[in-house]
Amino acid sequence: MRPSNGMTRREFLRITGAGLTGASLPWLAGCGGGSGSSGASAGGSEWKQYSGMTINFISENTAPTSAIAANLTPFKKLTGITVTIQQLELTSLAQRVALDFGSHSGEYHVIYADPYQVMAPLHDGFTDLKQFMNDDSLPAVPKGLGDFIPTQLDAAGRFEGKLFALPYDAPTLIWCYRKDLFEKYRDKMEEDLGFDPMPSDNSTWEQYYKIAKWFNENQDDVPYGTGHQAKQHDALMCDFSNLLWAYGGDYFENGQKVGRFGATDPGSSTLDSPQAIEAARFYNRLIGVAHPGSTSWDWNDLGEAFGAEECAMCPEWHEFAAAWEVGSLKGNIGYAPLPKGPARSSNMYGGTGIGVNKYASEDQQKAAWLFVVWATSPEAQLMDLKSSVGGGTPTRQSVYQMPEVKNNKNPLTNMPNIVTAPAVLKAWEPQNIGLRPKVPSWNQCDTILYSQVSQMLTAGKSPEDAMRDAKKEMDQAVKGVPSAI
Amino acid sequence: MLPALVILAAISILPLLYIIWMSLNNVTLLGGTGISSNWTGLGNWGRMFADPGVWAGWAAMVIYFIGTVGLEMILGLVAALVIHEVVWGKNLAFSLILIPMFIAPVIVGLLGRFLVNPTYGLYAWVLRESGIYSGNILGGSVSAFVAVVLMDVWEWTPLVALITLAGLVSIQPQILEAAKVDGASYWERLRHIVLPSIAGIIIVALLIRSMDALRYFDIIWQATNGGPANATKIIPLRLYESAFRFFHLGYAATIGLLMLAVSILVANLFTGILRQRGLLR
Amino acid sequence: MSTGARFSAGKIFPYVLLVVLLLWTLVPIAWMLLSSFKSLTDVLSPTPLLTFKPTLANYIGLVSGGNNVLTYFRSSILAAGISTIIATTLGCFAGYGLARSNFRGKRHLAFWIISTRMAPIAAVILPLFIGFTFLHLINTVWGLIVAYLSFNLPFAIWIMNAFFADLPPGIEEAARVDGASNFQTFWRIALPMTAPGIVTTAILCLVFSWNDYAFAVTFAGPGSQTLPVAASQLITQTGVDWGQLTAIGTVVALPMVIVGLAVRRYLVRGLTLGAVTGE
Repeated sequence: MRPSNGMTRREFLRITGAGLTGASLPWLAGCGGGSGSSGASAGGSEWKQYSGMTINFISENTAPTSAIAANLTPFKKLTGITVTIQQLELTSLAQRVALDFGSHSGEYHVIYADPYQVMAPLHDGFTDLKQFMNDDSLPAVPKGLGDFIPTQLDAAGRFEGKLFALPYDAPTLIWCYRKDLFEKYRDKMEEDLGFDPMPSDNSTWEQYYKIAKWFNENQDDVPYGTGHQAKQHDALMCDFSNLLWAYGGDYFENGQKVGRFGATDPGSSTLDSPQAIEAARFYNRLIGVAHPGSTSWDWNDLGEAFGAEECAMCPEWHEFAAAWEVGSLKGNIGYAPLPKGPARSSNMYGGTGIGVNKYASEDQQKAAWLFVVWATSPEAQLMDLKSSVGGGTPTRQSVYQMPEVKNNKNPLTNMPNIVTAPAVLKAWEPQNIGLRPKVPSWNQCDTILYSQVSQMLTAGKSPEDAMRDAKKEMDQAVKGVPSAI
Repeated sequence: MLPALVILAAISILPLLYIIWMSLNNVTLLGGTGISSNWTGLGNWGRMFADPGVWAGWAAMVIYFIGTVGLEMILGLVAALVIHEVVWGKNLAFSLILIPMFIAPVIVGLLGRFLVNPTYGLYAWVLRESGIYSGNILGGSVSAFVAVVLMDVWEWTPLVALITLAGLVSIQPQILEAAKVDGASYWERLRHIVLPSIAGIIIVALLIRSMDALRYFDIIWQATNGGPANATKIIPLRLYESAFRFFHLGYAATIGLLMLAVSILVANLFTGILRQRGLLR
Repeated sequence: MSTGARFSAGKIFPYVLLVVLLLWTLVPIAWMLLSSFKSLTDVLSPTPLLTFKPTLANYIGLVSGGNNVLTYFRSSILAAGISTIIATTLGCFAGYGLARSNFRGKRHLAFWIISTRMAPIAAVILPLFIGFTFLHLINTVWGLIVAYLSFNLPFAIWIMNAFFADLPPGIEEAARVDGASNFQTFWRIALPMTAPGIVTTAILCLVFSWNDYAFAVTFAGPGSQTLPVAASQLITQTGVDWGQLTAIGTVVALPMVIVGLAVRRYLVRGLTLGAVTGE
């Protein structure tokens, strides 16, 4: 995605990133502090232990990785370690990591550990990070673990009690809407619908539906009120889950706990509960009034459509803000947590952490730890936030408090994603965050869910049948029974 | 001959044995501790034959195979005949028609998606403006299926055209001349002289294309991911998901062996026809 | 000869069909080429733009930054090229051996050879991966070369076998009567006569290797990734960079098109000679 001034993200980073992390070198080199391990932090010696090594980092093509890939010199200067980065799309990444672990080859030292598609199924291939944190000869996590947003540390980092990754990126589904259109039609909508349409803590999904319908029927600025990522794809599961949880349903008993901490055996599926079926019914109605392209859109297509003014609002990953806040839409988009259902407002969390490969040699693992600490440090996250397009939002609370971020007069120009901060900080609170089950058979469950919902949306299957069949199949999947869904 | 065969054996027999072993075990990569396996005998096989997902995958595969290979053979033949007939610009036309074959299937799938996207797709726009079809092409089961079939046809018709044209070029011109002098029309010449002469070549094209049609799923994967509602989820895609999304490698091996058996059967069928016509030694 | 009017329906019809065929084939390619010169806003415009301000930004983007497309290019050329050379060479020897041999299981051997190419890729990946790890071939270009051999070699042997089987036996017999050894007969007589076949084999092997995605994703590492993998990398978390994707599509297609056009004549002749009796 290109801003109108024609500079690419990478060009921008080369100019700003180098300067920035160069300036932060002494900070990182000298700091061993924070809670956690006692630091024998005399200068940069603990960072330079593995100088000369090369480590491999495998990652999805995500904003922090692109930012880092364009600017590895600071890390090289700090540690003397060369990092080769391989970026793959997510399914291929999961395949490579699985093969790596399966054959114990330890080729990739730092791994982008998607909690649901990579960490949960393959958790025993990761090293428990506690051993590095307890090692006095290694740098500690700057400002300690407490600086990470708590729900994110658990969701992206932990599995059944062990810490396998540090939070690296944090895309979250929130309510993105055309502030300008909402303001333009606010009075008329209030008159017709009987409530104030502006997103607030009291907005409900039923209201969202009515607003969408109103837009369809009463104005010409955009073709449709709402758009969704309802392709037969992981995106559909993400979109649908918000409603599932908002209506009080879940995939398994104690679903949010399973989502936050992980479980090898989550018990039997609760998708056939009345709340889940109610959610499915509502979702069916909602897609019925949504932009017809929705059923072939994943999050990318939806992002493009919203940016092309095809709909007035959509539930979308907040990091798309950087791509949208250019040209005529700049400053005209609002962000809020998703509406409430009968139970709560729930915002699907899609963040990931980076972890260390257990099958690498001991030295390689420690070198990998250096990279993990550096890549999730406050400085690195600030650099990523400032990259011109598609920069990720920080997973650390301290970065949001930095004066440069807090007092930024022109966020839309130099760190567009931060305009979503009020909405996502709210969305990450424990009662609002939406966490899908972190179970080893999640990939299969995911496929089951989105195939069934797709049949409901495009093949006329009834919501009850879709949910009940999904439950049956998920119970089998969790038991490890193979099938070609 | 021997060194080549030794390499071939190493690359193919060893994996084949391993796959057979996998199909008799519950092999999985889950957990990340390595390849774990426990003996299940014919359990995977039993489960596969009872799995509605597998049957659905095969059903979609059959329709997809007939659609793509069928259309490619017909269009390839027509393209070859047309290029053979025209006089003006023959070479240029031939070069241009071959181009799609050289583009990776992954990219063809993405390109197809790019062209039919409701927001900015060229084809979507044309269909909408001309009133022919204003729905979401990849959003409906039938239209999505047709779309991916056409993407595959676009890519591989040139291969069939190439092979068929080779055959056309080799027909003795004297026979055709004699027929023209005798007053035979184009269609009569086509039916009685041209087609029989290139029958063998057409079967070769069919064989080459069939071998790959049963294995490739890149186009569907990029364009629709098997949807909507599993409409385009052909069996090779299900195989890939079983192996590398769900990590059930034993089960995937079973599906793979069945696919291999079907391919061999189909190939046998076609070579049988070749042999029947006395064209095989 | 036909004495009809110069523009009779019969004569026009093939040209009409040709135009239709060319449109069907070329419109997507032309659109891809056009889009690669558009800025992203123009690419995503709801009304397709035929006039726009062209930019080289997409191509520049491909060669700058962390993912320089030239390294992928190099890996693709090396992996596809070397694998093709090996497969074609071995295919010639093995194909000749097979064609000139006479043992009972010959037909079955030929069938087995080509059936090794029919195995679904996802099924063979794990055993191949284990083998390659053992041989330290993972993340190397050589790993890819060997992997591509798994489908190029059988194909090459099968096709060359057909070509050699098709040669008129008289010439070789005459050479042997004159005292030529087996190898000399092969090298000096048989091989040159099948030159078009060799070219055909080489081109098709090249195309199948060049277009491969599954093996590249599995066996290639940061230093050996190929172009199709690079294309899929443009699918990021926050958007598909269609501008760069169409640029990469053009970059991927172009070399193969050039190679294909250069050897076009051999392709047609080659397939003629051997294909009729494909075994």
